[in-house]
Amino acid sequence: MERKAVIREFVRELLARKGDTEPFSDEASLLLSGRLQSVDAVEIAVFLEEEFGVDFAERGFDQEMIDTLDAISALVEDSAKTP
Amino acid sequence: MTAAADPGRPGPASARAPFLWGFRLIPRIETYPEVVSFAQTDIGKFTLLGIFAIGLWYTHPLWQVLIVLLAVVTLLPQYRRMVLTFGTLVWGFGIIWPWTVRPLLLPAAMVLILAALLFWAASRFPHSGFGRRPVASLLTGFALSVLLASYLPRGGYLWAASWDFLTVAGAYLWFIAYSLLDAGSKSRDPFALQVGTYRPFWGGTNTPFAKGAAYLRRIEAHNPEQLAVAQLKGLKLLAWSVLLDLFLRKAFLPVVHGRLGIPVYSQLFELSVQRGSFPWYVGWASLIANFIEDLARLSIFGHRIIASCRMAGFLALRNTCRPLASRSIAEFWNRYYYYFKELLVDCFFYPTFMRYFKGHRRWRLFAATFAAACFGNAFFHFFRDLGYIEESGFWKALAGFQAYIFYTVVLAVGIGISQLRERRVETTGWIRGRLVPAFWVIGFFCILSVFDYTDKRYPLQECFRFLAHLFNLTS
Repeated sequence: MERKAVIREFVRELLARKGDTEPFSDEASLLLSGRLQSVDAVEIAVFLEEEFGVDFAERGFDQEMIDTLDAISALVEDSAKTP
Repeated sequence: MTAAADPGRPGPASARAPFLWGFRLIPRIETYPEVVSFAQTDIGKFTLLGIFAIGLWYTHPLWQVLIVLLAVVTLLPQYRRMVLTFGTLVWGFGIIWPWTVRPLLLPAAMVLILAALLFWAASRFPHSGFGRRPVASLLTGFALSVLLASYLPRGGYLWAASWDFLTVAGAYLWFIAYSLLDAGSKSRDPFALQVGTYRPFWGGTNTPFAKGAAYLRRIEAHNPEQLAVAQLKGLKLLAWSVLLDLFLRKAFLPVVHGRLGIPVYSQLFELSVQRGSFPWYVGWASLIANFIEDLARLSIFGHRIIASCRMAGFLALRNTCRPLASRSIAEFWNRYYYYFKELLVDCFFYPTFMRYFKGHRRWRLFAATFAAACFGNAFFHFFRDLGYIEESGFWKALAGFQAYIFYTVVLAVGIGISQLRERRVETTGWIRGRLVPAFWVIGFFCILSVFDYTDKRYPLQECFRFLAHLFNLTS
């Protein structure tokens, strides 16, 4: 599966666990809009670490980095390029 | 450190509970197309500002200055962030710092210059020790400065100048921390715009309301319709603030303390310290009344600030959002004081979680929660009350802080356990799924509020003594 599709599926499941089954676009704010919360941000971060090897200890972390599907995809792309 | 304060959008379908079959005390005017269109016209803007001014007149002592700034920011949306910086500087240097016990204009200017230098260093040298951990460096530096200042000879010029500087630095500390977090972002704002988030003119405490520049960038209205919606929501929130204030002052307090004769909690606590006796049920009544009063006061205060923030064109989340409906300790903590929780999450929780215990998922979450709810929480409150440290000395002040430290430890354990439990969508009905969990959560925070004691006048054992009174375990 394409990276973005994998991420989308994970976020969809995360939202569904909270009872939120409404659709979300690639640009829709997930965290700063309050739709997901800090503990969900942690779940996304762990998912990105385990699935794509993103190292937040190295690059630092703020919610803006994973606020939208587009931002998460860009982060994963960037991480893949960085040795 | 979880859950939502989410006023900006309807909740997920399954989480929505009908309130009196959809009845709303304040209608959702931001969803009426005619109202939103009207709010975008010149006359609509002035009407909104006019109604908002009436609410401010009731709730804010400096409502005239605030409404002028809000009018300017409404009429010049293309310069919103610059107007925010200008208004915030006018507010700080015209209203706050000249009128403290001693005028603190010079220390305030020095703090802003230092903040600019730190911001420049964090953005220019991201791989340096400071650039990699700017917030930790800032907080360590501040704590050490306070410790050193407490050893200076009392009464001298250096002592006075140091404490003046630290007083202002303490007031801006967490705002600068948010700037330093933004310094690492590719889309960071220049320092001139960061200054607009340093105790912005819409008000607040040492806790940055509506966080920092990164958050403002995300929630700023980008077209007239978004501005209209943000302002209408701001107006609604101010109306809530006024209604809650009226309820508290005209109904709740007169009935509770007047008609029912329930003693004020602080007086009852004092009575306990003086070894006075009172029936256990009076203790409970006073504690519960105090808990509700604190919740209402925080809501009134937070709603007013966020209402003004929304009126300025930033659709910020509410500070307090239905805390009594919380089904877990972590959810309550999030709903009760959202921007304080966010501060702890951004400055303590995330850095700990991303760096330590990476191989132990549960420990990782627990350690990060402890770093935020215990250490960060205690750090914030200890260094907030600088006057007490200045007066009593660093170590005596720390010893006096024991009750609050105990509070943060229990709070962190509670939130940690709450987060580690599996989270599921409730399917067990209203009573078992909502009412019973809410009862236990409110009970936990109500009892814990005995230890939420930052006055530093009495030791921890006095809090335990009051707790014992509640269970009729003392004479």
